[in-house]
Amino acid sequence: MPSGCCALCIEMLKTEELQINIGPQHPSTHGVFRMIVTVDGETITDLKPVFGYLHRNHEQIAEQNTYLQNMPYTDRLDYFNSMANNHAYAMAVERLAGIEVPERAEYIRVLMVELTRILNHAGALGFLINDMGMWQTQLAFGMREREKILDLFEAASGARLMCNYFRFGGVARDLPPDFVPKLKELLVAMPAFVDELERLLRENEILMQRAEGIGILPRDLALAYSVTGPVLRGSGVPYDVRKAEPYSVYDRFNFDVPVGSVGDVYDRFLVRIEEMRQSKRIIEQIIEQLPDAQGGHINPKARQNVRPPVGDAYARIESPKGELGFYLVSDGSTRPYRYKVRAPSFINLTPLGDMCRGYKVADVVVILGSIDIVMGEVDR
Amino acid sequence: MAIERGNVIIVERGRRKERLPGSGLLEGMAVVWRHWQGSFRKNRSFSQIHGTFTLEYPEERPKLPEAYRNMPILLYDEETGHELCTSCFQCQRICPPQVIHMTQAKDPATGKPVPAVAEFVIEYDACMSCGFCAEVCPFDAIKMDHEFELSTADHGSLTVAKEQLNRPIGYYERIAPTMWAEVREQALKKLQGNIKRRPGVLGMAPNLAEKIAARLRELATTAPVEAAPTTPPGPSAPAGRLSPEEKAARLAAIRARNDAAPADAPPPPAPAGARDGHGEPAPSDVPPAVNPADAKAARLAAIRARNAARAQEQAPPEPPAPPASRARTDEPEG
Ligand code: SF4
Ligand code: SF4
Repeated sequence: MPSGCCALCIEMLKTEELQINIGPQHPSTHGVFRMIVTVDGETITDLKPVFGYLHRNHEQIAEQNTYLQNMPYTDRLDYFNSMANNHAYAMAVERLAGIEVPERAEYIRVLMVELTRILNHAGALGFLINDMGMWQTQLAFGMREREKILDLFEAASGARLMCNYFRFGGVARDLPPDFVPKLKELLVAMPAFVDELERLLRENEILMQRAEGIGILPRDLALAYSVTGPVLRGSGVPYDVRKAEPYSVYDRFNFDVPVGSVGDVYDRFLVRIEEMRQSKRIIEQIIEQLPDAQGGHINPKARQNVRPPVGDAYARIESPKGELGFYLVSDGSTRPYRYKVRAPSFINLTPLGDMCRGYKVADVVVILGSIDIVMGEVDR
Repeated sequence: MAIERGNVIIVERGRRKERLPGSGLLEGMAVVWRHWQGSFRKNRSFSQIHGTFTLEYPEERPKLPEAYRNMPILLYDEETGHELCTSCFQCQRICPPQVIHMTQAKDPATGKPVPAVAEFVIEYDACMSCGFCAEVCPFDAIKMDHEFELSTADHGSLTVAKEQLNRPIGYYERIAPTMWAEVREQALKKLQGNIKRRPGVLGMAPNLAEKIAARLRELATTAPVEAAPTTPPGPSAPAGRLSPEEKAARLAAIRARNDAAPADAPPPPAPAGARDGHGEPAPSDVPPAVNPADAKAARLAAIRARNAARAQEQAPPEPPAPPASRARTDEPEG
């Protein structure tokens, strides 16, 4: 056939946009999450995130429970980071009821949340690499470090994931005697793990091809969407609640805030690696400064029935995924009158459409992986 | 850029290098090779990143830390045969998913409540292993077990009654020696006090038939007039297997009995409807039904206004903890 015919045929071909569903059951959607993707060939012209498949009435349940009874429910929001959820909720109730926290308990709390940050990023990076098709290797390395941290959580709180460790005005129980020695051992392994991860992947050909210049979220758009956490910092905004509004004892530690320059998947990847290093730095300072056990009634049993005065309170923390906030309204009874969660995963997910537009279908899973969501928190 | 106690650092992006074809692959293989070599060694040290960290479950078992919690169990004292639980209802009240159900034992002669528990049921299938029950129990009677192999094809068997919940103190002492040592003295002292107030064989662990028989003989010689009941009041719990209907009926019976309890007794648990979806909510928990959305918005606004007005003043001290018995019946007052 004459070659001119091909061009003609393509001219005459009728093309149209195609709508496809990714999810809700899909290996790379990180939970039951659905995206309605409109594609023109391989290029994405539109993407609509659809949530709600994991909705379980979290806030309504919380309004029927007493304040303390909600603590184990907060574990189930972002089940990767139950300690961070506990912290935000405990802070909100303490603010509402005017409860003081002993110093040692504050240090233990920050320690737990920083460990949570390391384990979250170790897992999140593993899953991100997984989504790029480098199947399982990095994830297994990340999970190995995560397991060690979970061992520590288990020794302190009794559970690996659903820790339920924080109480109003303290924590459930003091650290077991072998906790700090083990933690020190872990801190020896941590740089080795992070360095290996970086050496292996930072200039890796596959990673750079899949991540560089992909899923760019410009600075102003990130701000407009109120994105927080590593996603916002990856877009170059040095905003970290730990620095912007130092809560707990964060004003006593030296640590840096890593930011990206372009705002693509690659920057978010690098920001997370650096955050693990900074968390390790904080933990080292905690071990140095940790006050003695004496004098601190760490679990005040009298706080089982808190009855905050009428009023409202909002407390926020820098959870590994972004700004996690709890808004509580008290009517003076033992149950919250209103209970609202500001979940970072949910809000970070809203610009997904803008981040994906113009890229290829195969990039969607990578971009989604780089946001690092947990559906338990998105849907509540 | 410097900020307080730290800097803002801009992460350094890697550059795509001109490299020999395949060199990136070799770099990666080197890492994999190191780990592969390490995998011939067992390693549980936290300071290492090489070596095998996994266990060959079920042949190898993890050493569980003392604090580990899975499902709650009830303790009894092997020596006296008495259960530590006094049916104070604290655990039932705190339980977030409301899966603990119990009735208090009554003295058959006088009808007065006795510090002992007659029926005690925990729905293991809905328990969220939060550990609150063990934390609040003033008598250290309920503790968290380390047993985690509970999977079964028989759903009914996960509604567990006292007979299956009972464990000797020695068992708990073995799995959590230091945690028991901390509370041992006060727990046993309280138990001694409670035993004095338990007539007959009330409060004795039903699985200790010999102890009960011995006690009955002892009672028969010392106080021949009193014929102590051999079983606690209330239907004795069948072992295992409960159909859903039986389970529902049983829980309803417990609730009904508690509702009929004297006014000074602690209040009944929250409605079953909150959990299993087909129970009717207890009347005390239904909010006033007038236009709930509007009412709620109005109250939210009122509360916010009051809070704003109060914000100028100093934060008031924490209110005293309310009397325990009122905790769950409180309705928010207007
Ligand atoms: S709190 Fe302890 S003593 Fe009270 S009813 Fe529960 S198990 Fe029994
Ligand atoms: S562990 Fe928690 S959910 Fe389970 S019975 Fe005890 S209080 Fe209830």
